[in-house]
Amino acid sequence: MRGFTHYISGLAAATFFAALVGDLRLGILIPVIAAAAAYFPDFVDFKFGKFFARRDYEIDPAPWDEKKHYAPKLVKVSELSDANRYQFFALKGRVKEILARGSGKVSYKVLKDGKEETVTEEYNSIVFTLDDGTGEITVEAFGDDYRFFEEEFGSIAEGKELLVFGYVDVGEDGTIKFVVSDAPHPQGIADTIKRAIEEAYREGERIVKIHNIRLPGDVYRRFTVHLDPPKREVRVEMGPIVTPGGVAIGGDVPEYRKYGIAKVDVPFIKTYPKPTRIDSFSGPEIAFRRAEFRGKMVVKDRFLPWHHGFSHSMTMGIIIGIVVFAFFKLIGYEHAGALALASMVGQWLHVFEDQLGFMGSNLFPPLTKDVIPGFKLGESGSGLTNFSTAWLMIALMIWNFNRFTDPRPIPISDAKLLLYLIWPSIIGFGIAIIRSFRLRREINQLMDYYTNLDAFEEMEEVGGI
Amino acid sequence: MLPLSDLLLWSLVGVLFGSLISWIPGFHIFNIMALLVAVFGVGSLMPVQAFPFFAIGAIVAYAYVSAISSVYFSVADESAVFLLFPTQRYLLLGRGHEAVLLYLIGAVAGTLILVLGLLFVFPRVLPPIYQATSPYVTYFLVAIVLFMFMSEWPKEGDRGRTPAERLWLAWRQILAGIFVFFISGILGFIVMNTNLLPTTSAYTRLTPMFIGFFGMSWVLLNILSNPPMLEQVPDDRVESSVYNTLKASFGGALGGTIAAVYPIITGGMGALVAGHMTSQRGDDAFIISQGVNRVIYYVGAFTLLFLPQLRLTRGAAAWLVSSIYTPKSYAEYLAAIGAILLSAGISFLFTYYISRFMARSFNIVHLKKLSYLVAITLVAISYVLTGWMGIAVLFVSTAIGMTAAAFNTRRSYCLGGLILPVLISMTGHTGYFMHLLGLG
Repeated sequence: MRGFTHYISGLAAATFFAALVGDLRLGILIPVIAAAAAYFPDFVDFKFGKFFARRDYEIDPAPWDEKKHYAPKLVKVSELSDANRYQFFALKGRVKEILARGSGKVSYKVLKDGKEETVTEEYNSIVFTLDDGTGEITVEAFGDDYRFFEEEFGSIAEGKELLVFGYVDVGEDGTIKFVVSDAPHPQGIADTIKRAIEEAYREGERIVKIHNIRLPGDVYRRFTVHLDPPKREVRVEMGPIVTPGGVAIGGDVPEYRKYGIAKVDVPFIKTYPKPTRIDSFSGPEIAFRRAEFRGKMVVKDRFLPWHHGFSHSMTMGIIIGIVVFAFFKLIGYEHAGALALASMVGQWLHVFEDQLGFMGSNLFPPLTKDVIPGFKLGESGSGLTNFSTAWLMIALMIWNFNRFTDPRPIPISDAKLLLYLIWPSIIGFGIAIIRSFRLRREINQLMDYYTNLDAFEEMEEVGGI
Repeated sequence: MLPLSDLLLWSLVGVLFGSLISWIPGFHIFNIMALLVAVFGVGSLMPVQAFPFFAIGAIVAYAYVSAISSVYFSVADESAVFLLFPTQRYLLLGRGHEAVLLYLIGAVAGTLILVLGLLFVFPRVLPPIYQATSPYVTYFLVAIVLFMFMSEWPKEGDRGRTPAERLWLAWRQILAGIFVFFISGILGFIVMNTNLLPTTSAYTRLTPMFIGFFGMSWVLLNILSNPPMLEQVPDDRVESSVYNTLKASFGGALGGTIAAVYPIITGGMGALVAGHMTSQRGDDAFIISQGVNRVIYYVGAFTLLFLPQLRLTRGAAAWLVSSIYTPKSYAEYLAAIGAILLSAGISFLFTYYISRFMARSFNIVHLKKLSYLVAITLVAISYVLTGWMGIAVLFVSTAIGMTAAAFNTRRSYCLGGLILPVLISMTGHTGYFMHLLGLG
């Protein structure tokens, strides 16, 4: 659920205590602590936990310019090495020598409806050396990129000054070169994720941080990471440029540098049946952990491994209750007990609400060690479940305010008033439950497909695809 | 009550007045109405019973036509501000007119929801709900402010080299937001509780502060960032879906209603709450919901003054108008609803045609030149309303508004200028804070 849904649950929890409602009426605002307690798990995770989380691999397809805070970063030739392969940068320098101009045919593989096809097309190209005072690098532009390059700079001649965008690549002889493009190459992302999965299978766990690609004008290059267990593939697709609101505004990359595919040598399963999409705000962290599944050793993914940990447990709710009680008792707040209970219930409501989704939580650490899967009622961002929950909490607040006031501002029976107030939530939850049956059926089918043990065994016999 | 024809006529005058000034960046209808009252008075210009209807026309026009200034005149280069508003992004992509059209879709939806609400829902539902919840307004207000701080999304921090550096980058922005809120609050407290500004400016003493926070700081950003004046497409074309429109209308209506009914909670705060409640996503949905939200927030809040069973005074315009004449009868309430419909229709046409004109001639006069002109006008308004000390307040509040932009925090933290002193007053601590600040 979204942050405010949790927060308002805490606000509502406080109103179940007549003593706290009485304080609120007197202008004593301390009960707002219950709302803070309800939001606390996300606050801790997103404001602290996220930044302290371990990162075994950090994938930054397009490092930021440190002053402007967007890509591409303007770098010097001397700063580049093969560690930067496939990353997106800008170089500024003078054309030193034209090495080749030409045209010909290029063949590359594309994915159409999940199948690989080979495409051959004609291309124009130019290869030249660029000198920026710190060193020289070979720059090549071909295909669609050559066309854009020519439109931008006209005819390329020796001595011409250029600001070139592109990704770093490594030639067959091991030297680095610069390929003109408007996006990083997705192969680097796929290769790193593959390595992390394979290492996790051997070592136990690897956590990968994937950074997003921010471009000038507060727009982002979208890319998706798709883990395909039956094919044992990591596929990364470079997408269009999108606004932070997710609206695509064009800028699709040419087919020949749209996909990055890496074959994985070990079995893995994907616990959530959608590709991971990376665009605005920040990129995700994904943990790959070795786990046993139906008697076989596999690697499982877990999205945002620092999220839904101890902070999202019932145990933490008890700790919050104790801390709130101790602190407010110490400062002499008369209703410290009620406030502590409200804070604990608020935090528990957060845990329960999140349990309705997909990720699940480790509910009673240290008694329980692992995450209990969510009820899959809807995704955390679902408008329907968020609104239904938030509205229910607003309704409960109004209901409590009314029944704890004498004379009652709304002079009807409690049951009747509650029914008048909560019907939108009843309808909302009803729709969500009906939808969830279909969703769960689809997920089960996909999990069966992804985790087909026969397919794993067969692949192991032939040594992978 | 004046004859209906007179009331509608004065509403029409209000729409024309509002439409003429609402497209200018940095101008706010409340400031201009205050200026009108302060300089000319009302009795000499129009009958006092007509003033609420004139105000309705002007406020509806503002809710519609101000889309022009927020889309076409709030451009900032990406190096000057970290995150651009969706409308600014549309403008930078040459789709400013489309952003206005999306806003208009929202504004029309907002008008219809508001009118239906005013006719069938508000008179029955609002009084009991308001009576049950109004003693707890301070609770809601504090809760929203606390949520604003707790939910601030760190826009930086991901790329720090060490955990400590990542934490610092993230918290630098959060701490700056808290700083902006409290420094705005102190300024607001001083403005509200001392005789810094002349007593003759009783109704307009907050005006220079708000001009600085939200008007002048934008205008200065426009001047400093010197944005490119990109060619705009004037075509009548929008990319959205019926589902997004309905969802955005619902969210916008929810946020607008919260803000309209409860004091101090502004449209932005209401939108924050409703956006989370309905899990809103997408630039098109955001702009549509803004249209709905602003109409319900501005027009709905003001119309509560007309609701006979409730008669709430919400917003600066309502306070200004109620000091001259408060509508009393149900007939006036119904006339006000009619005036809203009439004004909305005219304002829609104004906004649409101004937007087409702007899109066609966007790069004729550079925004930087226009911004200089507006900056001088805003200083003049502040001086006329509040004298030299008002100019000093304008200067300080502009600096605070610029600080919010520089640290990449929510501009709405500047609302601390209103929220903090009101909270201090509501909880009975004004005297204590006066002493703390050495003011009494």
